[in-house]
Amino acid sequence: MMTLIVPIAADHSDYVKKLPQPFRFDDEGTMFCVKAITGLPMEEIKDIYFVILRDHEERFMLSEQLAMQFRKHNLKNAHVTILDHHTSSQAETVACAIRMNGIKGIVFVKDADCYFSTDEILPQNGVAIYALENLPIVDPQHKSYVAVDDMFYVTNIIEKRVVSHFFSAGGYCFEDADEFCDYFDRLKDYSPLYLSHIIYAMLLDKRIFRPIEIDNYQDWSVAVKLV
Amino acid sequence: MKLDIQGHSGCDIVIVHNDNELRIHKSTHDPNYVPRLINQANKQIEASKREYQNIRIPFIFEVEHTDRDATIKMEYIYSKNFIEYFENAGFEQIKYLIGAIKYFIDLEINASTIQTVPSCVLTDKMADVARKVSKNKHLQDDEKALELVELSKQVMNSVGDMVMPVGTCHGDLTFSNILFNGNNYYLIDFLDSFIESPLLDIVKIRQDTAYLWSTLMYGKPFDKVRLSIVSEKIDKAIDEYFSAKYEWYRKYYMPLQLMNFLRILQYGHEEKVITYLKQVIEGQLSIINNPKNA
Repeated sequence: MMTLIVPIAADHSDYVKKLPQPFRFDDEGTMFCVKAITGLPMEEIKDIYFVILRDHEERFMLSEQLAMQFRKHNLKNAHVTILDHHTSSQAETVACAIRMNGIKGIVFVKDADCYFSTDEILPQNGVAIYALENLPIVDPQHKSYVAVDDMFYVTNIIEKRVVSHFFSAGGYCFEDADEFCDYFDRLKDYSPLYLSHIIYAMLLDKRIFRPIEIDNYQDWSVAVKLV
Repeated sequence: MKLDIQGHSGCDIVIVHNDNELRIHKSTHDPNYVPRLINQANKQIEASKREYQNIRIPFIFEVEHTDRDATIKMEYIYSKNFIEYFENAGFEQIKYLIGAIKYFIDLEINASTIQTVPSCVLTDKMADVARKVSKNKHLQDDEKALELVELSKQVMNSVGDMVMPVGTCHGDLTFSNILFNGNNYYLIDFLDSFIESPLLDIVKIRQDTAYLWSTLMYGKPFDKVRLSIVSEKIDKAIDEYFSAKYEWYRKYYMPLQLMNFLRILQYGHEEKVITYLKQVIEGQLSIINNPKNA
Protein backbone atom coordinates (compact mmCIF):
# COMPACT_ATOMS: atom_id res chain seq x y z
CA MET A 1 0.00 0.00 0.00
CA MET A 2 1.17 3.51 -0.76
CA THR A 3 0.33 7.12 0.05
CA LEU A 4 -0.83 9.38 -2.73
CA ILE A 5 0.14 13.07 -2.63
CA VAL A 6 -1.39 15.65 -4.98
CA PRO A 7 0.59 18.90 -4.66
CA ILE A 8 -1.45 21.99 -5.63
CA ALA A 9 0.43 24.66 -3.71
CA ALA A 10 1.86 26.70 -6.56
CA ASP A 11 0.96 30.36 -6.43
CA HIS A 12 0.50 32.73 -9.33
CA SER A 13 -0.54 36.35 -9.66
CA ASP A 14 -3.58 35.20 -11.71
CA TYR A 15 -4.87 33.29 -8.68
CA VAL A 16 -5.67 36.47 -6.75
CA LYS A 17 -9.02 36.60 -8.51
CA LYS A 18 -9.06 33.46 -10.58
CA LEU A 19 -9.62 29.93 -9.29
CA PRO A 20 -6.49 27.85 -10.03
CA GLN A 21 -7.11 25.46 -12.90
CA PRO A 22 -6.84 22.23 -10.83
CA PHE A 23 -9.80 23.40 -8.68
CA ARG A 24 -12.11 24.04 -11.62
CA PHE A 25 -14.74 21.53 -12.68
CA ASP A 26 -15.18 19.42 -15.76
CA ASP A 27 -18.53 18.96 -17.52
CA GLU A 28 -19.53 16.22 -15.07
CA GLY A 29 -18.91 18.38 -12.02
CA THR A 30 -15.62 16.77 -11.04
CA MET A 31 -12.78 18.97 -9.89
CA PHE A 32 -9.79 18.54 -12.21
CA CYS A 33 -7.42 17.80 -9.31
CA VAL A 34 -9.72 14.98 -8.20
CA LYS A 35 -10.21 13.76 -11.74
CA ALA A 36 -6.39 13.68 -11.97
CA ILE A 37 -6.27 10.67 -9.62
CA THR A 38 -9.30 8.74 -10.80
CA GLY A 39 -7.28 6.67 -13.27
CA LEU A 40 -5.03 5.28 -10.54
CA PRO A 41 -5.51 1.83 -8.97
CA MET A 42 -7.20 2.94 -5.71
CA GLU A 43 -6.91 -0.50 -4.11
CA GLU A 44 -3.13 0.12 -3.79
CA ILE A 45 -3.55 3.48 -2.04
CA LYS A 46 -4.07 3.79 1.70
CA ASP A 47 -4.28 7.58 2.07
CA ILE A 48 -4.61 10.51 -0.31
CA TYR A 49 -3.39 14.01 0.55
CA PHE A 50 -4.39 17.02 -1.52
CA VAL A 51 -1.90 19.74 -0.54
CA ILE A 52 -3.24 23.26 -0.96
CA LEU A 53 -2.36 26.79 0.14
CA ARG A 54 -4.13 28.51 3.04
CA ASP A 55 -4.47 31.60 0.89
CA HIS A 56 -6.37 29.64 -1.77
CA GLU A 57 -8.39 27.85 0.91
CA GLU A 58 -9.55 31.13 2.42
CA ARG A 59 -10.24 32.75 -0.92
CA PHE A 60 -12.06 29.88 -2.59
CA MET A 61 -13.22 27.69 0.37
CA LEU A 62 -11.52 24.74 -1.20
CA SER A 63 -11.55 22.19 1.63
CA GLU A 64 -15.37 22.21 1.74
CA GLN A 65 -15.52 21.76 -2.01
CA LEU A 66 -12.91 19.05 -1.87
CA ALA A 67 -14.81 17.27 0.91
CA MET A 68 -17.87 17.18 -1.37
CA GLN A 69 -15.74 15.83 -4.18
CA PHE A 70 -14.37 13.10 -1.90
CA ARG A 71 -17.97 12.07 -1.08
CA LYS A 72 -18.98 12.18 -4.74
CA HIS A 73 -16.10 9.89 -5.70
CA ASN A 74 -16.27 7.75 -2.57
CA LEU A 75 -12.71 8.69 -1.57
CA LYS A 76 -12.97 7.83 2.13
CA ASN A 77 -9.22 7.97 2.67
CA ALA A 78 -8.72 11.45 1.16
CA HIS A 79 -7.50 14.40 3.23
CA VAL A 80 -6.67 18.04 2.67
CA THR A 81 -3.33 19.36 3.91
CA ILE A 82 -3.16 23.14 4.10
CA LEU A 83 0.19 24.94 3.86
CA ASP A 84 0.44 28.39 5.42
CA HIS A 85 2.89 29.65 2.79
CA HIS A 86 3.46 28.88 -0.85
CA THR A 87 6.44 26.66 -1.59
CA SER A 88 9.32 27.25 -3.98
CA SER A 89 8.90 23.93 -5.76
CA GLN A 90 6.66 20.93 -6.15
CA ALA A 91 9.35 18.91 -4.36
CA GLU A 92 9.06 21.21 -1.34
CA THR A 93 5.27 20.80 -1.33
CA VAL A 94 5.68 17.02 -1.30
CA ALA A 95 8.31 17.15 1.47
CA CYS A 96 6.03 19.41 3.55
CA ALA A 97 3.11 17.00 3.09
CA ILE A 98 5.26 14.04 4.12
CA ARG A 99 6.49 15.78 7.26
CA MET A 100 3.21 17.37 8.31
CA ASN A 101 1.36 14.08 8.02
CA GLY A 102 4.12 11.77 9.27
CA ILE A 103 3.96 9.78 6.04
CA LYS A 104 6.21 6.72 5.87
CA GLY A 105 6.96 4.16 3.18
CA ILE A 106 5.96 4.38 -0.47
CA VAL A 107 4.73 7.70 -1.83
CA PHE A 108 3.11 8.30 -5.20
CA VAL A 109 3.09 11.93 -6.35
CA LYS A 110 0.48 12.84 -8.93
CA ASP A 111 0.41 16.15 -10.82
CA ALA A 112 -2.98 17.85 -10.57
CA ASP A 113 -3.04 19.24 -14.10
CA CYS A 114 -3.17 16.01 -16.06
CA TYR A 115 -4.87 12.63 -16.14
CA PHE A 116 -3.74 9.13 -16.97
CA SER A 117 -4.89 5.65 -16.20
CA THR A 118 -2.80 2.69 -15.17
CA ASP A 119 -3.71 -0.77 -13.89
CA GLU A 120 -0.85 -1.21 -11.52
CA ILE A 121 1.76 0.81 -9.66
CA LEU A 122 4.56 -1.41 -8.38
CA PRO A 123 5.95 -0.58 -4.91
CA GLN A 124 9.25 0.74 -6.25
CA ASN A 125 10.81 3.98 -7.48
CA GLY A 126 9.19 4.84 -10.78
CA VAL A 127 8.22 7.54 -13.26
CA ALA A 128 5.02 7.52 -15.31
CA ILE A 129 5.95 7.84 -18.96
CA TYR A 130 4.00 8.39 -22.15
CA ALA A 131 5.20 8.44 -25.75
CA LEU A 132 5.18 11.82 -27.50
CA GLU A 133 3.81 10.28 -30.68
CA ASN A 134 0.60 9.37 -28.83
CA LEU A 135 -0.24 13.04 -28.36
CA PRO A 136 -2.12 15.02 -30.98
CA ILE A 137 -0.76 18.30 -29.59
CA VAL A 138 2.54 18.66 -27.78
CA ASP A 139 3.89 21.50 -25.67
CA PRO A 140 7.49 20.27 -25.51
CA GLN A 141 8.81 23.15 -23.41
CA HIS A 142 6.83 22.26 -20.33
CA LYS A 143 7.73 18.63 -19.96
CA SER A 144 10.59 16.56 -18.70
CA TYR A 145 11.82 13.66 -20.77
CA VAL A 146 12.70 10.17 -19.64
CA ALA A 147 15.27 7.87 -21.24
CA VAL A 148 14.82 4.14 -20.66
CA ASP A 149 17.09 1.29 -21.69
CA ASP A 150 16.14 -1.92 -23.51
CA MET A 151 15.23 -3.68 -20.27
CA PHE A 152 13.03 -0.80 -19.23
CA TYR A 153 15.14 0.84 -16.58
CA VAL A 154 15.15 4.62 -16.34
CA THR A 155 18.62 5.91 -17.27
CA ASN A 156 17.97 9.62 -17.46
CA ILE A 157 15.37 12.29 -16.79
CA ILE A 158 15.84 15.78 -18.17
CA GLU A 159 13.87 18.94 -17.76
CA LYS A 160 12.60 20.59 -20.96
CA ARG A 161 14.98 18.88 -23.38
CA VAL A 162 13.67 16.36 -25.85
CA VAL A 163 16.13 13.48 -25.44
CA SER A 164 13.63 10.67 -25.70
CA HIS A 165 10.24 10.02 -27.18
CA PHE A 166 8.98 9.32 -23.66
CA PHE A 167 8.02 12.25 -21.52
CA SER A 168 7.28 12.30 -17.83
CA ALA A 169 3.49 12.08 -17.53
CA GLY A 170 3.17 13.62 -14.08
CA GLY A 171 3.29 10.56 -11.81
CA TYR A 172 6.27 9.72 -9.62
CA CYS A 173 6.70 6.84 -7.19
CA PHE A 174 9.25 6.98 -4.37
CA GLU A 175 9.67 3.80 -2.36
CA ASP A 176 10.79 5.60 0.79
CA ALA A 177 9.25 8.89 1.96
CA ASP A 178 12.18 9.55 4.31
CA GLU A 179 14.67 9.09 1.50
CA PHE A 180 12.73 11.53 -0.67
CA CYS A 181 12.94 14.10 2.14
CA ASP A 182 16.68 13.47 2.54
CA TYR A 183 17.24 14.22 -1.15
CA PHE A 184 14.99 17.25 -0.95
CA ASP A 185 16.98 18.58 2.02
CA ARG A 186 20.21 18.08 0.09
CA LEU A 187 18.94 19.97 -2.96
CA LYS A 188 16.48 22.46 -1.48
CA ASP A 189 18.76 25.47 -1.94
CA TYR A 190 18.81 25.02 -5.71
CA SER A 191 16.31 26.92 -7.79
CA PRO A 192 14.28 26.18 -9.82
CA LEU A 193 14.17 22.68 -8.35
CA TYR A 194 12.03 20.11 -10.15
CA LEU A 195 11.10 16.59 -9.14
CA SER A 196 13.14 15.49 -12.15
CA HIS A 197 16.25 16.92 -10.45
CA ILE A 198 15.54 14.88 -7.32
CA ILE A 199 15.07 11.73 -9.40
CA TYR A 200 18.26 12.45 -11.39
CA ALA A 201 20.26 12.90 -8.17
CA MET A 202 18.86 9.56 -6.96
CA LEU A 203 19.78 7.89 -10.27
CA LEU A 204 23.35 9.18 -9.91
CA ASP A 205 23.42 7.50 -6.49
CA LYS A 206 22.40 4.19 -8.09
CA ARG A 207 18.77 4.23 -7.01
CA ILE A 208 16.78 2.17 -9.51
CA PHE A 209 13.75 3.71 -11.22
CA ARG A 210 11.38 1.84 -13.51
CA PRO A 211 9.03 3.47 -16.00
CA ILE A 212 5.33 3.25 -15.15
CA GLU A 213 3.36 2.63 -18.32
CA ILE A 214 0.17 4.60 -18.57
CA ASP A 215 -2.77 5.08 -20.94
CA ASN A 216 -5.29 7.77 -21.81
CA TYR A 217 -3.02 10.69 -21.00
CA GLN A 218 -4.67 14.12 -20.95
CA ASP A 219 -2.72 17.33 -20.39
CA TRP A 220 -5.11 20.01 -19.15
CA SER A 221 -2.46 22.68 -18.90
CA VAL A 222 -2.06 22.57 -22.70
CA ALA A 223 -5.85 22.51 -23.20
CA VAL A 224 -6.26 25.60 -21.03
CA LYS A 225 -3.57 27.51 -22.95
CA LEU A 226 -5.08 26.55 -26.30
CA VAL A 227 -8.51 27.76 -25.18
CA MET B 1 31.35 30.17 -35.49
CA LYS B 2 31.81 31.54 -31.99
CA LEU B 3 33.17 29.09 -29.42
CA ASP B 4 30.92 28.64 -26.41
CA ILE B 5 33.74 28.30 -23.90
CA GLN B 6 36.12 31.22 -23.70
CA GLY B 7 39.80 30.45 -23.30
CA HIS B 8 42.44 32.61 -21.69
CA SER B 9 45.64 31.53 -23.41
CA GLY B 10 45.38 34.19 -26.10
CA CYS B 11 46.16 31.67 -28.85
CA ASP B 12 44.35 31.74 -32.19
CA ILE B 13 42.25 28.65 -32.89
CA VAL B 14 41.36 27.96 -36.51
CA ILE B 15 39.53 24.99 -38.01
CA VAL B 16 41.16 24.05 -41.30
CA HIS B 17 39.80 21.80 -44.07
CA ASN B 18 42.53 19.41 -45.13
CA ASP B 19 41.24 17.24 -48.03
CA ASN B 20 38.23 15.60 -46.40
CA GLU B 21 39.54 16.04 -42.89
CA LEU B 22 39.18 18.82 -40.40
CA ARG B 23 42.19 19.94 -38.41
CA ILE B 24 42.74 22.42 -35.62
CA HIS B 25 45.52 24.94 -35.93
CA LYS B 26 46.41 26.51 -32.61
CA SER B 27 48.90 29.32 -32.97
CA THR B 28 50.57 32.19 -31.18
CA HIS B 29 52.28 35.27 -32.57
CA ASP B 30 53.59 36.31 -29.16
CA PRO B 31 57.33 35.54 -29.05
CA ASN B 32 57.12 35.15 -25.25
CA TYR B 33 54.44 32.50 -25.59
CA VAL B 34 56.21 30.48 -28.32
CA PRO B 35 58.30 28.29 -25.97
CA ARG B 36 55.23 27.69 -23.79
CA LEU B 37 53.12 26.57 -26.74
CA ILE B 38 55.89 24.26 -27.92
CA ASN B 39 56.10 22.77 -24.41
CA GLN B 40 52.35 22.24 -24.45
CA ALA B 41 52.62 20.43 -27.78
CA ASN B 42 55.41 18.23 -26.44
CA LYS B 43 53.39 17.45 -23.33
CA GLN B 44 50.38 16.52 -25.48
CA ILE B 45 52.55 14.32 -27.74
CA GLU B 46 54.02 12.54 -24.69
CA ALA B 47 50.58 12.04 -23.15
CA SER B 48 49.20 10.63 -26.40
CA LYS B 49 51.73 7.78 -26.24
CA ARG B 50 49.94 6.28 -23.21
CA GLU B 51 46.67 4.30 -23.22
CA TYR B 52 43.94 5.71 -20.98
CA GLN B 53 40.84 3.66 -21.88
CA ASN B 54 38.12 6.24 -22.51
CA ILE B 55 40.40 9.24 -22.20
CA ARG B 56 42.02 10.23 -25.47
CA ILE B 57 44.43 12.87 -26.66
CA PRO B 58 44.01 14.59 -30.05
CA PHE B 59 46.77 13.56 -32.44
CA ILE B 60 49.33 16.24 -33.31
CA PHE B 61 50.35 16.15 -36.98
CA GLU B 62 52.93 18.88 -36.88
CA VAL B 63 54.40 21.68 -34.77
CA GLU B 64 55.69 24.62 -36.83
CA HIS B 65 57.59 27.41 -35.20
CA THR B 66 60.01 30.30 -35.59
CA ASP B 67 61.28 32.59 -32.82
CA ARG B 68 58.18 34.73 -33.24
CA ASP B 69 55.36 32.33 -34.14
CA ALA B 70 54.29 28.78 -33.38
CA THR B 71 51.44 26.64 -34.70
CA ILE B 72 50.27 23.25 -33.51
CA LYS B 73 48.38 21.32 -36.18
CA MET B 74 46.20 18.65 -34.66
CA GLU B 75 43.25 16.35 -35.12
CA TYR B 76 39.79 17.97 -34.99
CA ILE B 77 37.44 16.26 -32.53
CA TYR B 78 33.71 16.27 -33.12
CA SER B 79 32.48 16.88 -29.63
CA LYS B 80 30.27 18.61 -27.11
CA ASN B 81 31.40 20.91 -24.35
CA PHE B 82 30.95 19.80 -20.75
CA ILE B 83 27.73 21.72 -20.16
CA GLU B 84 25.95 20.30 -23.19
CA TYR B 85 27.27 16.88 -22.25
CA PHE B 86 26.12 17.07 -18.62
CA GLU B 87 22.75 18.46 -19.65
CA ASN B 88 22.12 15.28 -21.63
CA ALA B 89 24.14 12.62 -19.82
CA GLY B 90 22.36 9.75 -18.12
CA PHE B 91 23.61 8.44 -14.81
CA GLU B 92 25.70 5.70 -16.40
CA GLN B 93 27.58 8.21 -18.58
CA ILE B 94 28.49 10.19 -15.48
CA LYS B 95 29.66 6.95 -13.89
CA TYR B 96 31.94 6.25 -16.89
CA LEU B 97 33.34 9.76 -16.74
CA ILE B 98 34.14 9.42 -13.03
CA GLY B 99 35.84 6.08 -13.74
CA ALA B 100 37.83 7.60 -16.62
CA ILE B 101 39.06 10.53 -14.53
CA LYS B 102 40.15 8.23 -11.69
CA TYR B 103 41.88 5.90 -14.18
CA PHE B 104 43.69 8.76 -15.94
CA ILE B 105 44.98 10.28 -12.71
CA ASP B 106 45.98 6.88 -11.33
CA LEU B 107 48.03 6.29 -14.49
CA GLU B 108 49.67 9.68 -14.03
CA ILE B 109 50.44 8.76 -10.42
CA ASN B 110 51.97 5.46 -11.54
CA ALA B 111 54.07 7.29 -14.15
CA SER B 112 55.35 9.70 -11.48
CA THR B 113 57.69 9.14 -8.57
CA ILE B 114 57.23 10.20 -4.98
CA GLN B 115 59.44 13.21 -4.44
CA THR B 116 59.93 15.96 -1.91
CA VAL B 117 58.82 19.33 -3.16
CA PRO B 118 60.71 21.88 -1.05
CA SER B 119 58.64 24.34 0.95
CA CYS B 120 60.16 27.25 -0.99
CA VAL B 121 58.25 26.19 -4.14
CA LEU B 122 55.02 27.12 -2.41
CA THR B 123 56.31 30.14 -0.49
CA ASP B 124 58.05 31.59 -3.58
CA LYS B 125 54.87 31.13 -5.57
CA MET B 126 52.92 32.83 -2.79
CA ALA B 127 55.35 35.76 -2.85
CA ASP B 128 54.86 35.97 -6.61
CA VAL B 129 51.07 35.99 -6.16
CA ALA B 130 51.31 38.72 -3.52
CA ARG B 131 53.48 40.79 -5.87
CA LYS B 132 51.04 40.39 -8.77
CA VAL B 133 48.04 41.21 -6.59
CA SER B 134 49.76 44.38 -5.35
CA LYS B 135 50.37 45.44 -8.96
CA ASN B 136 46.89 44.54 -10.22
CA LYS B 137 44.93 47.81 -10.40
CA HIS B 138 41.68 45.94 -9.73
CA LEU B 139 43.05 44.44 -6.50
CA GLN B 140 45.76 46.70 -5.09
CA ASP B 141 43.24 48.82 -3.13
CA ASP B 142 40.91 45.97 -2.30
CA GLU B 143 41.32 45.52 1.46
CA LYS B 144 39.56 42.17 1.49
CA ALA B 145 41.75 40.77 -1.28
CA LEU B 146 44.91 41.98 0.45
CA GLU B 147 43.76 40.53 3.77
CA LEU B 148 43.09 37.16 2.10
CA VAL B 149 46.56 37.22 0.53
CA GLU B 150 48.13 37.88 3.95
CA LEU B 151 46.15 35.03 5.54
CA SER B 152 47.12 32.76 2.65
CA LYS B 153 50.79 33.56 3.19
CA GLN B 154 50.49 32.19 6.72
CA VAL B 155 48.96 28.99 5.36
CA MET B 156 51.66 28.54 2.72
CA ASN B 157 54.41 29.20 5.29
CA SER B 158 53.03 26.45 7.50
CA VAL B 159 52.84 23.71 4.82
CA GLY B 160 56.56 22.86 4.77
CA ASP B 161 58.14 20.36 2.37
CA MET B 162 55.57 18.33 0.48
CA VAL B 163 56.02 14.65 -0.32
CA MET B 164 53.90 13.80 -3.36
CA PRO B 165 54.03 12.16 -6.80
CA VAL B 166 55.92 14.31 -9.30
CA GLY B 167 56.55 13.57 -12.94
CA THR B 168 53.51 13.97 -15.11
CA CYS B 169 50.29 15.93 -15.27
CA HIS B 170 48.00 17.59 -17.78
CA GLY B 171 48.51 20.96 -16.13
CA ASP B 172 45.07 22.47 -16.70
CA LEU B 173 42.59 19.63 -16.34
CA THR B 174 39.40 21.66 -16.11
CA PHE B 175 36.15 20.64 -17.78
CA SER B 176 36.63 23.36 -20.38
CA ASN B 177 39.72 21.45 -21.55
CA ILE B 178 37.82 18.20 -22.03
CA LEU B 179 35.93 17.53 -25.26
CA PHE B 180 33.08 15.06 -24.87
CA ASN B 181 32.49 12.63 -27.71
CA GLY B 182 30.09 9.92 -26.50
CA ASN B 183 31.95 8.03 -23.81
CA ASN B 184 35.31 9.23 -25.13
CA TYR B 185 36.82 12.22 -23.42
CA TYR B 186 39.50 14.14 -25.33
CA LEU B 187 41.97 16.22 -23.34
CA ILE B 188 43.19 19.44 -24.90
CA ASP B 189 45.23 22.48 -23.86
CA PHE B 190 48.00 20.77 -21.93
CA LEU B 191 49.90 23.30 -19.87
CA ASP B 192 53.14 23.51 -17.93
CA SER B 193 52.50 23.45 -14.20
CA PHE B 194 54.51 24.96 -11.33
CA ILE B 195 54.62 21.46 -9.80
CA GLU B 196 54.36 18.67 -12.38
CA SER B 197 52.20 16.55 -10.12
CA PRO B 198 49.00 14.55 -10.71
CA LEU B 199 47.76 16.24 -7.53
CA LEU B 200 47.62 19.49 -9.51
CA ASP B 201 45.31 17.74 -11.99
CA ILE B 202 42.99 16.72 -9.14
CA VAL B 203 43.10 20.32 -7.94
CA LYS B 204 42.15 21.55 -11.43
CA ILE B 205 39.31 19.09 -11.98
CA ARG B 206 37.93 19.94 -8.53
CA GLN B 207 38.19 23.62 -9.43
CA ASP B 208 35.18 22.78 -11.59
CA THR B 209 33.46 20.01 -9.65
CA ALA B 210 33.68 21.70 -6.24
CA TYR B 211 33.65 25.35 -7.30
CA LEU B 212 31.91 25.30 -10.73
CA TRP B 213 34.60 27.61 -12.12
CA SER B 214 34.17 26.86 -15.85
CA THR B 215 30.44 27.52 -15.71
CA LEU B 216 31.27 31.19 -15.01
CA MET B 217 32.72 31.39 -18.54
CA TYR B 218 29.66 29.89 -20.23
CA GLY B 219 27.46 32.33 -22.11
CA LYS B 220 24.37 30.31 -23.02
CA PRO B 221 21.50 29.48 -20.67
CA PHE B 222 21.70 26.03 -19.09
CA ASP B 223 20.13 23.97 -16.31
CA LYS B 224 22.26 25.17 -13.40
CA VAL B 225 20.58 22.84 -10.92
CA ARG B 226 21.31 19.74 -12.98
CA LEU B 227 24.90 20.85 -13.56
CA SER B 228 25.36 21.43 -9.83
CA ILE B 229 23.95 17.97 -9.05
CA VAL B 230 26.31 16.33 -11.57
CA SER B 231 29.31 18.33 -10.37
CA GLU B 232 28.60 17.50 -6.75
CA LYS B 233 28.38 13.81 -7.62
CA ILE B 234 31.69 13.80 -9.52
CA ASP B 235 33.39 15.87 -6.83
CA LYS B 236 32.32 13.57 -4.01
CA ALA B 237 33.42 10.48 -5.95
CA ILE B 238 36.86 11.93 -6.76
CA ASP B 239 37.42 13.27 -3.26
CA GLU B 240 36.40 10.01 -1.57
CA TYR B 241 38.51 7.92 -3.94
CA PHE B 242 41.77 9.85 -3.54
CA SER B 243 41.19 10.59 0.17
CA ALA B 244 40.95 6.88 0.85
CA LYS B 245 44.11 6.09 -1.15
CA TYR B 246 46.70 8.79 -0.63
CA GLU B 247 47.97 10.65 2.39
CA TRP B 248 49.57 13.33 0.18
CA TYR B 249 46.12 14.07 -1.23
CA ARG B 250 44.57 14.45 2.23
CA LYS B 251 47.45 16.62 3.37
CA TYR B 252 48.13 18.92 0.43
CA TYR B 253 44.92 19.16 -1.57
CA MET B 254 43.48 22.13 0.32
CA PRO B 255 46.62 24.34 0.39
CA LEU B 256 47.19 23.63 -3.31
CA GLN B 257 43.57 24.39 -4.15
CA LEU B 258 43.95 27.65 -2.25
CA MET B 259 47.08 28.42 -4.27
CA ASN B 260 45.20 27.55 -7.46
CA PHE B 261 42.50 30.14 -6.76
CA LEU B 262 45.04 32.73 -5.61
CA ARG B 263 46.78 32.29 -8.97
CA ILE B 264 43.49 32.99 -10.72
CA LEU B 265 42.79 35.96 -8.45
CA GLN B 266 46.15 37.59 -9.23
CA TYR B 267 44.98 38.23 -12.82
CA GLY B 268 41.38 39.09 -11.87
CA HIS B 269 39.90 42.10 -13.63
CA GLU B 270 36.12 41.52 -13.73
CA GLU B 271 34.28 42.56 -10.59
CA LYS B 272 31.92 39.57 -10.72
CA VAL B 273 34.84 37.15 -10.97
CA ILE B 274 36.89 38.89 -8.27
CA THR B 275 33.93 38.81 -5.87
CA TYR B 276 33.45 35.10 -6.56
CA LEU B 277 37.16 34.35 -6.10
CA LYS B 278 37.31 36.21 -2.79
CA GLN B 279 34.32 34.21 -1.52
CA VAL B 280 35.95 30.94 -2.58
CA ILE B 281 39.31 31.84 -1.05
CA GLU B 282 37.68 32.95 2.20
CA GLY B 283 35.81 29.63 2.34
CA GLN B 284 39.00 27.68 1.69
CA LEU B 285 40.88 29.55 4.43
CA SER B 286 38.04 28.81 6.78
CA ILE B 287 38.26 25.08 5.99
CA ILE B 288 42.07 25.02 6.28
CA ASN B 289 41.97 26.81 9.63
CA ASN B 290 39.07 24.70 10.88
CA PRO B 291 38.48 21.47 8.91
CA LYS B 292 35.09 21.10 10.62
CA ASN B 293 33.87 23.88 8.30
CA ALA B 294 34.34 21.61 5.25
